[in-house]
Amino acid sequence: MLRLTQLRKSFGALTAVDSLSLEVRRGEVFGLLGPNGAGKSTTIGMAVGLIAPDSGTVELEGVGAPTDAAVRKHLGVAPQSLALYDDLSGEENLKFFGRVYGLASTVLRDRTSAVLEMVGLSPRRKDRVGGYSGGMKRRLNLAVALMHDPPMLLLDEPTAGVDPQSRNNILDLVRQLAGQGRTIIYTTHYMEEASRLCDRVGIIDRGRLLAMGTVSELVASHGGKSVVAVTREGQGEERIETDDPVREIAHVFAAGTVQGVRIDRPDLESVFLSLTGRRLRD
Amino acid sequence: MGAIFALAIKDLRQLVRDKSSAFFTFVFPLLVAVFFGVIFGGGGGSSKINVVVVNEDGGEAAASFAEDIAGDSSLDVTAAPSRSEGENLVRLGKASACIVIPKGFGAAAGNMFGGGTMKVEGVIDPSRKAEGGLLTGKLNELAFRQMSKTFSDVTKMDKALENAKQSIVASPDVNDSDRMLFSLMFDAIGKVNRTTRQKAQNAAATDGATKEENKSALAGWQPVRVSFQELPAQDNKPRSSFQISFTQGIIWGLMGCVTAFGVSLASERTRGTLMRLTVSPMSRGQILAGKALACFVACLLVQAMLVVFGVLPPFNVRIGQPLLMAVACVASAIGFTGIMMLMAGMSRSEGGGAGMGRALILVLAMIGGGTVPMFFMPPFMQTVSKVSPFSWATTAMEGAIWRGYTIEQMLLPVGVLLGFGAAGFVIGVVSLRWSSDR
Ligand SMILES: Nc1ncnc2c1ncn2[C@@H]1O[C@H](COP(=O)(O)OP(=O)(O)O)[C@@H](O)[C@H]1O
Ligand SMILES: [Mg+2]
Repeated sequence: MLRLTQLRKSFGALTAVDSLSLEVRRGEVFGLLGPNGAGKSTTIGMAVGLIAPDSGTVELEGVGAPTDAAVRKHLGVAPQSLALYDDLSGEENLKFFGRVYGLASTVLRDRTSAVLEMVGLSPRRKDRVGGYSGGMKRRLNLAVALMHDPPMLLLDEPTAGVDPQSRNNILDLVRQLAGQGRTIIYTTHYMEEASRLCDRVGIIDRGRLLAMGTVSELVASHGGKSVVAVTREGQGEERIETDDPVREIAHVFAAGTVQGVRIDRPDLESVFLSLTGRRLRD
Repeated sequence: MGAIFALAIKDLRQLVRDKSSAFFTFVFPLLVAVFFGVIFGGGGGSSKINVVVVNEDGGEAAASFAEDIAGDSSLDVTAAPSRSEGENLVRLGKASACIVIPKGFGAAAGNMFGGGTMKVEGVIDPSRKAEGGLLTGKLNELAFRQMSKTFSDVTKMDKALENAKQSIVASPDVNDSDRMLFSLMFDAIGKVNRTTRQKAQNAAATDGATKEENKSALAGWQPVRVSFQELPAQDNKPRSSFQISFTQGIIWGLMGCVTAFGVSLASERTRGTLMRLTVSPMSRGQILAGKALACFVACLLVQAMLVVFGVLPPFNVRIGQPLLMAVACVASAIGFTGIMMLMAGMSRSEGGGAGMGRALILVLAMIGGGTVPMFFMPPFMQTVSKVSPFSWATTAMEGAIWRGYTIEQMLLPVGVLLGFGAAGFVIGVVSLRWSSDR
């Protein structure tokens, strides 16, 4: 659906994105996981035609490059930094951006109501956005991207800085949108979000895409072994790496009295650690 | 096209909702117009009608009439030695009307029954036409008082009757028998006059009611023929201080629009909404066109609002050439939309560049006639002020309001304003292209 080929972008001496290639398949939720400053937003910017890459190409399959206005109609973007008019109401924001995308009259009205309902802002539709909570602004920021009903969504950290309730609302909504057959690129620095939502995940750090695949593929190839952590009377915690934690636990219990036991399965955090030598969140 | 309109409407809505922008665009200019108008006008706010009286007759009756006018409590009267000087005072807005007591007023007063009609002439400020009606009534009342004086003076009345008798007797259209008859009749009336007047005066001494009876007997009759002419428009002289101050108000309104919309693009950039617009199907040209349309409409609205307030009482601004005024307004709106684009292109963030732009615009408005009217400026400043687009807007509007510009004279300021508009649009589009990444 969306193919990025050998993208490169530098700001002065800093290379924000370096030789990045990836293909997002139709109907999948593709996660771009990486710490702050990894180059996620720059990648999204190039993918939507906002930032001109120094080299490389972006192509929306069968339609063209997003530098072409007609191609941009197929994309819905929720930028990382909130992009809303505080002095307009939620409804006015949606209607304005709807008109910008060419919606009018009943289509515009119906679509506005539907989108407000989707993000749970119908009761506050007439209120100025300036008075919204952070979570409500986030939801509206995402709602704007949905107005023109695009087949492809690019959501740049759509849960940044929100309360748990709005966060769950947004995650549910993304799942629902995916269920409608939309193709979604979802960037985040939360590995739980990536593993909960995404069909495939690309791990990005310092502008480079380090690995790509389903979560289990990534864990299998880069996550390392599971760890069985055992605590015994009078001793500290013992960590045992193993491919078969259940059998390992049986061994542990056979060897004597145990105060506690825990299995640490590898996850995307371990994948990131093994790929970069650093943790996702420092 | 729909997207451009949507952007323009959105921007206008934001302008109205932002209290400070709305104030500086719509309220402040009106305050300037009223404040400067009152200051320059120096009018003490009295409700009296300001009139100039010119006495060309110089006789006894005329002097007495002029004295009555001067003594009237509803009039604020200054005397002028000549008709042209009196008219000049009206032109300068110092008086609403100039009343001229022409030569022959005294003779007519002395020959009321012989067909002599007292005439009063004058010019009136066309914006004070309502006061003209009041003034005509007032003059008739005063002329009537003048007549009562004649009536109450037996010798004067005798003189009037004698004059009437002479004019009829001397007329070639009257045959001999009629002449005889009239002569006898006037003599008889004269006798009656003398005896009844004597009695009436005696009675008046006791109950003082005679005057009122006389008045009611003559009700409906106009003792004096008042003919006012509207003062014709004249080049190079404003007629009222509000003609100047409302132009200044418009300058401040235009400035409000330019600054409000000049920073709006920078503000969209910092808020990230410009990014949303650039990833939408809108082109950069369309985004700028939407901003330009909003600014253009706001400029026209401000100008229309000030014109409407200006022409209404109590300001009564007379717009000499309404059609040319409309041209001047549209050209100014286009010109300042261009200036706005220039400013928007230059300022990349809401602070910094935008602040500089705002300061520059403020200075240009001030030297362009926003504070000191241009024709009060020393010649050197008038030349300097030509660098300010505001001075061209001032010239165009003054040309239409009171300078009596011909279409040819309007071409220069209007052309310069349109030039500012075109240049600003081009530079704005180019600099926006450079200042972004795509
Ligand atoms: N416009 C810019 N000018 C200069 N540096 C930038 C700009 N945009 C991003 N960067 C830098 O590029 C790197 C990648 O940024 P970004 O794509 O925003 O990362 P992420 O979204 O993953 O946090 C960062 O080091 C950031 O500071
Ligand atoms: Mg980012």
